[in-house]
Amino acid sequence: MMGGSKGEKPVLFENGKRIDGRGAGDLRPIKIVCRVLNDADGSAYIEWGKNKILAGVYGPRECIPRHDQSLYRAVVRCRYNMAPFSGMEEHGRSGPNRRSKELSKVIKEAFENVIISENFPKTQIDVFVEVLQSDGGTRCAAVTAAAVALADAGIPMKDLPCAVAVCKIDGKMAVDPGKEEDNFGESDMPIAFSPRNGEVLLYQMDGLLTREELAEGFALAKEASAKIREIQADAIRKVYDEPKEERFLTIIKE
Amino acid sequence: MNEIKRDTLSALLLAGKRADGRGMHDYRKITVQKAPLQNAEGSALATIGKSQVIAGVKFDIATPFADRPKEGVFSTSADLLPLASHLFETGPPSEEAIELARVVDRGIRSSGTLDLESFFIEEGKVLALYLDIYILDHDGNLIDCSALAGMSALLSARMPKIEEGKIIRGEYEGKLPIKDKVVTCTFGKLSDKVFLDPTLDEEKGMDCRLTLATTPNHLCAAQKGGWGAVSEREIMSLLDISMEKGKELRSLL
Amino acid sequence: MEKESRIVFPGELVSDRPDRIAYAYIDKGKTYSTVVGLFSDGKLVPLEGPYEPLPDDIVVCIISEVRFSGYSVDINCPYVSFLSSREIRERYEMGDAIVARIVKVDEVKNIDLTDARKLPQGSLVKVSSVKVPRIIGKKNSMIDTIQSSTGCQVTAGRNGYIWVSGAGDFSLAQKAIRMIEAQAHTRGLTDRVASFLKSGKSR
Repeated sequence: MMGGSKGEKPVLFENGKRIDGRGAGDLRPIKIVCRVLNDADGSAYIEWGKNKILAGVYGPRECIPRHDQSLYRAVVRCRYNMAPFSGMEEHGRSGPNRRSKELSKVIKEAFENVIISENFPKTQIDVFVEVLQSDGGTRCAAVTAAAVALADAGIPMKDLPCAVAVCKIDGKMAVDPGKEEDNFGESDMPIAFSPRNGEVLLYQMDGLLTREELAEGFALAKEASAKIREIQADAIRKVYDEPKEERFLTIIKE
Repeated sequence: MNEIKRDTLSALLLAGKRADGRGMHDYRKITVQKAPLQNAEGSALATIGKSQVIAGVKFDIATPFADRPKEGVFSTSADLLPLASHLFETGPPSEEAIELARVVDRGIRSSGTLDLESFFIEEGKVLALYLDIYILDHDGNLIDCSALAGMSALLSARMPKIEEGKIIRGEYEGKLPIKDKVVTCTFGKLSDKVFLDPTLDEEKGMDCRLTLATTPNHLCAAQKGGWGAVSEREIMSLLDISMEKGKELRSLL
Repeated sequence: MEKESRIVFPGELVSDRPDRIAYAYIDKGKTYSTVVGLFSDGKLVPLEGPYEPLPDDIVVCIISEVRFSGYSVDINCPYVSFLSSREIRERYEMGDAIVARIVKVDEVKNIDLTDARKLPQGSLVKVSSVKVPRIIGKKNSMIDTIQSSTGCQVTAGRNGYIWVSGAGDFSLAQKAIRMIEAQAHTRGLTDRVASFLKSGKSR
């Protein structure tokens, strides 16, 4: 149920049910396909709710420009970009804006933590994320897909990270906000985890939360991240269980 | 960065053979996914061999051009995404991307398949149709792959509902009217050998390329790229092949 | 490679003790995988990954630059690879394919090559370097099958560059190589490849 004009807040959480029928700890449907591009060294495609996001990885490859290279490790680069046709509203402008530059940075920093970059001095590893369709929570979907793409490329990592956001809606903590919950909720907190030891690799937050709400949020996120990790592992396993010589990106219509 | 020496590929092509066993006038496997996206008013994902391109259509309200006050706006852009190829870099559109967008645009625009006058809303207000081509995977012949994705996206597009001069997103009023299906055929040339649908490796070795955009009965756009030369006789014969292949391509749209 | 092996992911536990296993790392007394790989018998074999050059590797290279004292070559890795003129008697041009041996990889990953030999006219098939052993096969069995069935000469570099030359069926050889690359981790591959080549499908 959408609010008529912006500012008319709908009821988000009533009788244990959110507007799309989910419970507080329920994720939207997530599908991941690993290895969908031919030229990229690694790739993955994720559908998370109505988000449709493609991740591609190149590297390690020669670091250009030369003066950016490190003698001790690979330089990790990330570009998060939204297609001009990805949103429901107006036609977007091409090229990076402030938001996408910020997201590129935090996503890159999340992966710098886990990529074992010392093995490849003087090189760069590129992570490209393209949002083909957006539906709230793109950065978490981006991290989750990019992790699979990096694993697909054989880039050595300490772990396979994933990310999920928690929100506060109608005073209650819930996991994985959809678009309306994003717009009208009281707090939004995306978190990327290293599942092996629960370390937090990406962390942002806005809104108002008490200490108890924060702890509850983390617990919900941790639990959800275990489910997401399984989906990532299944996607990678499928590459080897069902080997294909040709790779195609297939987008499921709703 | 592995530059295949021209001679190695030349030898195959000059013998009328292709590395993947195709005939000189055969396309690789083509697939078209229609309307895979929902936020865009129209969309399509096309693949030719290993090349993959997605196109999206978005409508906005715009002011018309001063010299065409009763016509809507049609604008095509193309992005060679860095994830599509180890050859692509981030940054502003390269001349390759610009040429690609303009060639695809020209085929659609000069065919007259879009009735831009139907985009008129009121004085000073028209609909603008933005066709964005996103190259996702590059193994050659991005022009034909983009043209297929673009045309299919237009065919899938729905007109937005307009109320009091504003677009009501998420509500639609019928489909975008399309008169003809425009398709392109791109040929590579090496010495005197001409081959349809060059792969990336073949593109690296060829002298020039010729793209012909056609409707069922007309040639509507053409573009020669690269430094080599083509003869008039070659162009005529390639037009015949394009007309023939056009039927095959249109059946996929 | 397939007996009782299980697929592991980055960050997955492969040992409760601090064991030094290739492609794994030790943290707080336990050992974890760094890659997607097959783990069996205490050994971890990556299923994918960039080529990591080692001395004595036989590699297929493409001449990328003619320099004063030798040649820069592309060996499918992001490091400078150099073939000194003193090491060879032949002369090469840009784009030539050669087979050579890595003699040295120094601390900053500069690579020196030796024992170079020019390859006859042909085409390059690029595969993931971790699959090359499977393409070669036990005692060259797989590569011999491809050569005899297609009439091509196949030179497989440890770096993932496979050079296919000769007047045989290039397209068939390429398809066979791609098939092996995709199914390298499976059983019964040798038989499947043999029957694919026999039916000689070219499309």
